[in-house]
Amino acid sequence: MNSKEIVQINNDKRKMLTAENLAYYEDMLVYIRLNNVNKSEQQTEEVLLELLEHLLLAQTEGKTAKDIFGNDLKEYCNEVIEEIPGEKTNDIVKFLSFVIIQFLAIISLCHGFIGFGLHYFFDLGAGSMTFQLGSGIIIIVGYLILLYLFVKVILQWVKRTSFKEKKAKKWVEFLQVWIISMVFIGLFILIPIVVPDFGKTISLPILTFAVVGIILYLVSFILNKKYRITN
Amino acid sequence: MSQRSQLLKGILEGCILSIIKMQPTYGYELSMKLQAFGLFDVSEGSIYPILLRLQKEKLIIGEMRKSDTGPKRKYYQLTEAGHMQLAEFIHQWELLKQPVDKIIEKGVN
Repeated sequence: MNSKEIVQINNDKRKMLTAENLAYYEDMLVYIRLNNVNKSEQQTEEVLLELLEHLLLAQTEGKTAKDIFGNDLKEYCNEVIEEIPGEKTNDIVKFLSFVIIQFLAIISLCHGFIGFGLHYFFDLGAGSMTFQLGSGIIIIVGYLILLYLFVKVILQWVKRTSFKEKKAKKWVEFLQVWIISMVFIGLFILIPIVVPDFGKTISLPILTFAVVGIILYLVSFILNKKYRITN
Repeated sequence: MSQRSQLLKGILEGCILSIIKMQPTYGYELSMKLQAFGLFDVSEGSIYPILLRLQKEKLIIGEMRKSDTGPKRKYYQLTEAGHMQLAEFIHQWELLKQPVDKIIEKGVN
């Protein structure tokens, strides 16, 4: 059974928990999944399912998650995470390459098609795009760093909301995520503006970007199929 | 950490190997067996970090398989290395048990 199948079983079985146990368990689940960076996904999901099975069986005797895993659930989760074996570096490299290629594909596709559409249907912008090779590379690298930071910040935010006795109000959480997103979107717009022009000047028809985007997307699709990265 | 849980820490691993040796077991059943033998105050969940560690050290191997009563469960069994580790644990335990008992006996009388 691969990790995706185990996740599916977990999703189905979780519905059988009482409201109180579900709240405890979901906190543990989110915390363990978020902290399993460099850890084997298979082992993580297997142990999560074991903890769930145990809780379900103990629940019939009227026990709660705290009776089974101790009063400090966060500490307990840290003990579990500590013992989960590491993922092979190979898998991490594969996953990162996949994310980067797909990200570049999306940027390139959007740029190509929107630019093309604006130019040919609304006569806006130019039919070709001129850019400096040096600045272009810096901007792309900047985007990747920003994407990485964005994921990090969001994960940190989710982690912080675990194991709170009092959950924050929905609208407060929404506002926080909204502000984080706005800051990052602002930075995405800012990067091309602040990076100075340097390097060789290149001029390409705008549609080239769409073609490059499609090719990159196909590459990411084939990589995913071949190495089963996201399934 | 209480004195009891400190004492138990090293021993628990040996007990778990020993129970798994009797027959392939899944987590919940294992914790029930520990309690049935009298180790009630071991928090039930504390076996899972240990099971993960034993797997990492390749002393046990877990396999998802269908149980008699229905759902697929992860059953553990000892590996070759696990059998050796258990034999070593039993040997060391025997070496400790008698002297410690004797010392305590002398102290009491």
